Amino acid sequence: MDDLLADFIAEARDMMEALSGEIVAWENDPGDKERLDAIFRFVHTVKGNCGFFDFPQLEKLSHAAEDSLADCRAGRRQADQALVTAVLAVIDRIAEMVDAIGEGGELPASDDDALIAALAEGAETARPQETAAAAPSSKTARQTATPRTIRLPVDLLDRVMSGVSDMAVARNDLARRLAQSNGETGLEAPFNRLSAILVDLSEAITRIRMQRIDTLFAGFPRLVRDLSHELGKQVMVEVESGDVEIDREMIEVVRDPMVHIIRNAIDHGIEPPAERLAAGKREIGSLTITARQTGSEIRIGIVDDGKGIDGDKLVAKAISAKLITAEEARALTPRERNMLICLPGLSTAKEVTAVSGRGVGMDVVRANIEKIGGSLVIDSTPGSGTRMMLNIPLTLSIVPSLTIGVAHHTFALPRSYVEEIVRSAGEEMDKNWMGGRKFITLRGQRIPCVGLEEVLGLESSCPDDARLYVLIKLVGGDVFGLAVDAIHNHEELVVKPIAPVLMACGLYVGTTQLDDGSPVPMLDIAGVARAAGMISEVKDRTIRTGAGETRVEEKDLRPALLFVGFDGRERAIEMDDVRRIEKLPRSAVRHATGDTAQIVIDGRIVPLLGLSGELPDRELAMFRLGDGAGEVAFAYERMIDLVEFDPLSITKAKRSGERLALVGGRPVELLDASALEARAPVTEGA
Amino acid sequence: MDQSLLLVKIAGETAALDSARIQSVVELEGLTPVPCSPSHVAGLAALRSRAMTVVDCRRSLELPDAEDGEADGEGALAVVVELDEFLYALLVDQVEEVVPLEDEPALLRTELLPGWARATLGMVETSAGPALLLDPAQLVAGPGDVLGHAVEKAMA
Repeated sequence: MDDLLADFIAEARDMMEALSGEIVAWENDPGDKERLDAIFRFVHTVKGNCGFFDFPQLEKLSHAAEDSLADCRAGRRQADQALVTAVLAVIDRIAEMVDAIGEGGELPASDDDALIAALAEGAETARPQETAAAAPSSKTARQTATPRTIRLPVDLLDRVMSGVSDMAVARNDLARRLAQSNGETGLEAPFNRLSAILVDLSEAITRIRMQRIDTLFAGFPRLVRDLSHELGKQVMVEVESGDVEIDREMIEVVRDPMVHIIRNAIDHGIEPPAERLAAGKREIGSLTITARQTGSEIRIGIVDDGKGIDGDKLVAKAISAKLITAEEARALTPRERNMLICLPGLSTAKEVTAVSGRGVGMDVVRANIEKIGGSLVIDSTPGSGTRMMLNIPLTLSIVPSLTIGVAHHTFALPRSYVEEIVRSAGEEMDKNWMGGRKFITLRGQRIPCVGLEEVLGLESSCPDDARLYVLIKLVGGDVFGLAVDAIHNHEELVVKPIAPVLMACGLYVGTTQLDDGSPVPMLDIAGVARAAGMISEVKDRTIRTGAGETRVEEKDLRPALLFVGFDGRERAIEMDDVRRIEKLPRSAVRHATGDTAQIVIDGRIVPLLGLSGELPDRELAMFRLGDGAGEVAFAYERMIDLVEFDPLSITKAKRSGERLALVGGRPVELLDASALEARAPVTEGA
Repeated sequence: MDQSLLLVKIAGETAALDSARIQSVVELEGLTPVPCSPSHVAGLAALRSRAMTVVDCRRSLELPDAEDGEADGEGALAVVVELDEFLYALLVDQVEEVVPLEDEPALLRTELLPGWARATLGMVETSAGPALLLDPAQLVAGPGDVLGHAVEKAMA
């Protein structure tokens, strides 16, 4: 019986989650039979189960909703705004009851008769102010066929996962012992096979933990609908999940920040209909929520076409609140100005509203995203809208990391924070002491530095010249240098939570294990920055030297590689797109007709682009772009230089669709890596 | 009830731990110190693919550190317990034997040394003589947790 009940609750919750988008869509188009059917099926199922389990209250409610919906289905009644609102209220109430049942508690006592009465034809709607606002619409992808799934307890998954990690550690141990025996043991071949299986297995396990991001997005159309009704605004929401999958733990972490940003967008961003008309915009505001996966990151964009962020007002406010000085304000780039809304206690809203409150929130949003190793970027054009980009790592548990050494200790830190690594002995680096704090000057920027050993209370015996500075970029653009003795490795580490007694130090976020099985603490970069006095205030922004204009350039430029292709043309490729540069022998290439070719890299066949004409009889140099199944290689003739370009200068050539960027004052074609990846001939499958 | 106790030696005294809460007894290999951690936390050690937080019971009980010759640090014996899904290795000087629990722990009416007083659940009589039954959670929390101590006292 208990099992049956648990199944009922799980089923009801699943259906409700899938349903919230449907209802909003149905409201927009009450004539949509398919959606009506979906909602009808839900109340019908609930009703059927209630009879079985004896929940008379729940049965009464679902029965009433079923009746009204059946009338609509039969054409006896026209679905209208009032009915939708009433059905929504009933479904909310059912959700409450299901939760109560799930927790084994009493059903919340309340008057359901009003809800039932509201379902009746011609009834006054329970919340009359809602009828004033018009219907939002939704273009959520219709979920018709649900994939076959089974339900698994998460702790079972975790056990399987930790079993696989155990196996990996045992494998590494075995590898070490095999290496020690240095002779023919006859075990190498089976050992290699075991390793390969293990790699496959751990990949599969990671995938198991992934869930389609739709699960996260499904509730948003409903949220937007409710909020816009409450605020008397009209918002059309478009959700595009791009088939992105996300770690199920991550879903919970990202939900709150997203809800907050959406609230802000509707409350402060999108204007009331009259104001929009006056500004020459469509009466109905638009909110777009998208997700994209790029490499090891997921980018979630929340874009509205509201009034945007008034950067000047924001700056004025920050100055009057003494959060920044007028001089610092002048040095801010537009993005940095927008990031000011993430300062605690700063809000540009004239009135405090119940929906998004005042100033509280964006700082928390930023902190939460930062905590999981993600970042927040805000672009806004006053008068035409705001775009919030959340960049979050793919999973919580596997973090691309840097392992570093200081004073004979080893630590890991998330690579997402690392801007670059500079050697202390580097020529163009200038070191100064000011007010007891060390600063290094790099390309015109003075960057405050701290030795990791100082923060951790250790003694480093490493000579100053041999040290390395890891430049850490905190969310919001603050940069500081962390001096360490050595960089050990770049690796993907499985990070597990750290015991509360150690978490309390505020310097660590988790523990991880190196290949030899030894545990290593993962540093909490925000915590280290705080302990080092780098983040306590807004003041920690890098102090810029030199004239204003050089600074702006430095800030916005993106690195790219300038090269000559085999067709003799000069192009540039954005540094971020290149995973690595490889030189491979001519024999690894299979050259077919035209420009299709493949190359063997690390035992895999990867599409090779960029070839034309005769192949030179020497090693081929190539960029490796993308990863996993989408990997492609792009061969080039010779490298010219490492250059920088202004991303704002990118223009599209009208006829050819080429993207051109200004490099050193002249236009250069910019290779579009994502287009190449998409265009690459498929090499999957047998 | 078939309860049994694991008897351990800490700073010359016999103490007992509820064996139902113990996962295993291990000899520590390799200890990663964690800078800035509370003084009773010796560091991290690995138990297969999981990290354990190593707690020095002497420090946690506010007792003097082991002298040379007594077991300490690497190669030391530790009792592994799991609390709230985290593994802890409690460093002890020696592990003696497993004995059946004969009676419910009795409250001691005498004032004990503060560390012991905080971490004990009472006195137990065993076939090997009387011993203090220790609460792993208190050992992990260490001397810093004054609040936990007060709550414990108020409830007693």
